[in-house]
Amino acid sequence: MERLAVNRLRERLPLDGPTIDRFVERYGCPIIEGERATFLYRGNVDEVWVRHRVVGLPDPLPLKRIGESDLWAVTTVLPEGSRVEYQIEIRKGDHYERFNDPLNPRLAHSPMGSSSVCAAIGYRVPDWVAHDPEARPGTLVEEQVHSKALRRDQPVQIYLPARFNRAQRYPLLVVHDGTDYLQFAAMKTVLDNLIHRLDVDPLVAVFVPPRDRLKEYPNHAPHARFIARELVPLLTERLPLIDTPEARCLMGSSFGGIASLSTAVRYPGFFGSLMLQSASLVFTDIGFDHGGGPAFDPVVKFVNRFREKPSAVVDRLFMSCGVYEPLITPNRSMVPVFRHAGMTVRYTESRDGHNWENWRDRLGDGLAWLFPGPQKFVYE
Amino acid sequence: MSTTILLGPQRFTTTVGATVRSLGVTGRIAMVNSGWEERESDDAELAGHLDGRGVNLRLHHRMMDVLAKDQHFAAAAVAFRDRMDELRAFYGIRLQAAIDAVHAVAHRTSIHAVGPIAEESAMEAVREVDRWYAAELEELYGSVRATAPLDESGTIGWHRGEIGALLDECEAVVIAGGNVRTLLRTLRVFDVTLRPEQSVVAWSAGAMALTDEVVLFHDFTPHGVAAAELHDRGLGRLPGIVALPHAKRRLLLDGHERMSVLARRFAEHRLLLLDDGAVVRFPDGATELPVGARVIDRTGHVSVVGVA
Repeated sequence: MERLAVNRLRERLPLDGPTIDRFVERYGCPIIEGERATFLYRGNVDEVWVRHRVVGLPDPLPLKRIGESDLWAVTTVLPEGSRVEYQIEIRKGDHYERFNDPLNPRLAHSPMGSSSVCAAIGYRVPDWVAHDPEARPGTLVEEQVHSKALRRDQPVQIYLPARFNRAQRYPLLVVHDGTDYLQFAAMKTVLDNLIHRLDVDPLVAVFVPPRDRLKEYPNHAPHARFIARELVPLLTERLPLIDTPEARCLMGSSFGGIASLSTAVRYPGFFGSLMLQSASLVFTDIGFDHGGGPAFDPVVKFVNRFREKPSAVVDRLFMSCGVYEPLITPNRSMVPVFRHAGMTVRYTESRDGHNWENWRDRLGDGLAWLFPGPQKFVYE
Repeated sequence: MSTTILLGPQRFTTTVGATVRSLGVTGRIAMVNSGWEERESDDAELAGHLDGRGVNLRLHHRMMDVLAKDQHFAAAAVAFRDRMDELRAFYGIRLQAAIDAVHAVAHRTSIHAVGPIAEESAMEAVREVDRWYAAELEELYGSVRATAPLDESGTIGWHRGEIGALLDECEAVVIAGGNVRTLLRTLRVFDVTLRPEQSVVAWSAGAMALTDEVVLFHDFTPHGVAAAELHDRGLGRLPGIVALPHAKRRLLLDGHERMSVLARRFAEHRLLLLDDGAVVRFPDGATELPVGARVIDRTGHVSVVGVA
């Protein structure tokens, strides 16, 4: 195996500024060499770390100064196909600061802000993520739905597929954290493209944002009532939807996954399928020390109760989870529970973390499985 | 009698122009490309291959017109589609289970010669599911005919008259690919009847529409029912043939066991492969496959008609 670029650089100590400039310009950051990633930082600081949330790697991951120079580096293993979001943290005396990697222009965005992205060898952004000029766009319609259950007007965005036609009937996908899925997972573009490619059946999607996420998403009766007894019936009345459980799907990520599952549990048989992405399926086998903080208390209560008495609340369940996120173990553990309850489960893992681009990248697999497109009908 | 020619897909290997010229047709040529749906009017390239003699029957456009003007028909069409979708969903469940049983039985070790009997019985169960679907579909068509007779729609009647007049003026017909469901639906609603003296050139979904049994297939489709599915009856101009366009791209041709199941399932039919560049000619009203046509035989291998 060829020696790492940063090790070849070390042979040239002492390093002057122009040499480091040329090195950084040539290799960029992070440097991906086979299944190894080298993170760099340049600056006169006392300590530097890579901050990430990859389960299995030390966090923080300290960088070491190269010789007496202002260049810092650390190399870590990064298996093929991995994608990691991270930030740089520095210490200057007593002053700590955390920011995106100034040497890496690649960013990912989320409601919490942005992060730098390290894509390992073999990782590709799916080609259905980018705008395809040949794909006819669907339409997003913004509405306010009055909810007695939630005691407020709830904003929603309704996606109508290209060529929407009242003489057709469409399945319905209810998306928790809807605004975030649109903004951070490019979900409208993804739907446009997957429908255009015939991978996914034309469908109506309703994107629902929460108001108080930590309260409404972990097994909250008013939220479930709003979705199942107010929103879906309203849409079914107004739009040409297929009015059967098989054609209704709830989806969400993280707490949104719990909101989806708990709504299905409260209204068993009303929805035919679920798409749970990195769902916060935290549970305890004994006691109640789950380590997730108070926000997870209602989640753990709900998941523990479900595990005590699992039932097939839907027919089909698509689950995905990143192997670098702490939720990987609970997600893996729940697969046999769901299957044993009688649900058909498709479960996929990715070398990624708890983030929106991971959830975006899994949409193709999940949506095509839940709503298979009309490829069999088309012979050009 | 006229000639019928089935071609391979025309997207990358365009042979329709040369094929039509080989027929020696001097008059107008009817174009059916309703399988392209809303792109039906983007027919300049196709018309160009026909030396400007093409007359588009605009079946998809006419269907939209009928749906807009005839509310009774529109409601019946929605009801029919709903019922057919439901029928197809149940058919898919039953079919996949039956096909899975065939493969499971075929893989089970048989010491006392029960295996082959069990496999044939499992195959018969698949055929029975196909027969059930076909019978239910026929019943469905019957009920639609009873509740919303197409003959009673003034709008449909008007379009049928115009289509008939256009067809009468044409010496040949070309039928393009696209969505086979849409194509068949428009052909059926407008009762498009090909004249015996008209030569026909068709490809992809168009080729499927000329047969008597239209079978949907895609071994590489990411999800959904993996087994080939009976869909509907075609125009029946080429009975006894199941047309398989894009076979190399859509069928697991190296999966001989899988292909054998397909061939034995449709034992009364020849499974015709229509890949890029294919030209299969049925002269003078013939319906037998000509020498050189590529088919899937009962062993699941690709063979060539007329080659021992």
